[in-house]
Amino acid sequence: MAVPISQMWTVSTYVLKQKLTGRKRYPLVLMLEPLFRCSLACAGCGKVQYPPHILKKQLTPEECFAAVDECGAPMVSIPGGEPLLHPQIVEIVNGLIARKKYIYLCTNALELKKRLPEFTPSKYLTFSVHLDGQREHHDFSVCREGGYEIAVEGIREAVKRGFRVTTNATFFDGTDPNGVRAFFDEVMAMGVEGIVLSPGYSYDKAPDQNRFMGRARVRRLFRAILSNRKPSWKFNMSPLFLEFLMGKRNYECTPWGMPAYNIFGWQKPCYLLQEGYAESYKELLETTSWEEYGVASGNPKCANCMVSCGYETTAVIDGFGSVKGFLAMARGNFNLYRDQHALKLLSEPAAHGPLVQIEEPARSLEEANV
Amino acid sequence: MTAEVKKYTLEQVEALELAPGAEHENLEGWVPALASEDDLRQALEKAFDYRGDVTLTLKNGERIEAYIFNRRTGPTLAGSYVQYFTPSAPEKRQVSYAEIARIEFTGKDRAAGKHWEDWVKNYNERKAAGEKNIALAPEALG
Repeated sequence: MAVPISQMWTVSTYVLKQKLTGRKRYPLVLMLEPLFRCSLACAGCGKVQYPPHILKKQLTPEECFAAVDECGAPMVSIPGGEPLLHPQIVEIVNGLIARKKYIYLCTNALELKKRLPEFTPSKYLTFSVHLDGQREHHDFSVCREGGYEIAVEGIREAVKRGFRVTTNATFFDGTDPNGVRAFFDEVMAMGVEGIVLSPGYSYDKAPDQNRFMGRARVRRLFRAILSNRKPSWKFNMSPLFLEFLMGKRNYECTPWGMPAYNIFGWQKPCYLLQEGYAESYKELLETTSWEEYGVASGNPKCANCMVSCGYETTAVIDGFGSVKGFLAMARGNFNLYRDQHALKLLSEPAAHGPLVQIEEPARSLEEANV
Repeated sequence: MTAEVKKYTLEQVEALELAPGAEHENLEGWVPALASEDDLRQALEKAFDYRGDVTLTLKNGERIEAYIFNRRTGPTLAGSYVQYFTPSAPEKRQVSYAEIARIEFTGKDRAAGKHWEDWVKNYNERKAAGEKNIALAPEALG
């Protein structure tokens, strides 16, 4: 189990409190995007395609704190853009730590090693380093040779200084499951607390529109990756969400669970879709037509989505919201998910070279057990 | 979501192998004809989705270069408005649909182009030439 007990306690008591007070919709993680500016130009990212004057804008620390205070989520993820490019990011982080929020600062780590002395290790602060796979895979994915090496240097330095560190990977079509498993070995050897992963979302503004997996292919890929686990692998995620990715559970999206706030306001309906903005979290909850989103809605924009910002909230609420869910979650933390069929998937000839995104898939994996 | 959007059944969703990517609409340079209220509403909807600046000409003659990031629509044009940022002002601004006379998609579409295909081609060529530290850099902000 990678998540510290204090964080689990905070989240579980928060979920129970919402349940006891009969609150129907509530935030679990605030996705706080203080800026869209980034130092990378990744092909799968649809977050940074804006005119320069928009990329130069950023939230002030006061705007960040007001959003955090209004929505009240116990956890805050700070993606972007690249948060370390924000000149007041240290002030923002320290303000959130003072509010006892568990922070995941998502970074490509190009500046991490240099900036670490400005931060103080805390149980509330985790650096979530974007690392999409082994060296060549990551470098090609982020369109920058040498990016892996710099990120790993940052990870090692952060671990050495006593920071909580996770890696954060996004997988697209063509990912080699054996390469991902070898990558898990590598990152655990770096001393990280755990691994975070997700299938890519089909951003309609992303430069590459041909590599987004549908749900059937996502389930097969993650079944191959996450079955027959090594005991050394730790995941900084809900085990029930991982079971969902593997095709062992069906969940519906909880778009209001990880609301996104950025320079435009509160994003409707979720971190991934941009269908408008609200001035407050209250207005977001009250004016969004939630029934139009999620896989059951039939909305084509939600059709292939199995991303953590929509489904991990569902898994967490399931895990902390009932005895049955809690037991399943506890079992999931220790289960290695032995699966002969998944082994067979892994032993099939590799469809791709190390630069997995160059080549077309030569064959499809077998169906998962949904 | 508009009523004419094709919806998937749950069975279709679960069986999807590859998610269909978005068809990118080339709007850069477009100046829509605004003959009716519907024309204006549709053009502003596209402007909201556009990842570049547009130029709005108001009925009083004022011209505004704007990145439109939101719109709030009501039953009347006077009760509907767009929210935008301009390159020269830090704060959010808004203008009613009823005040808008002309829309020009003047700014560069930041989501257009074949960046990925370009990157793969560029990478392979430079790699074959023995180059090291090949990278795709974000556009300069000026």
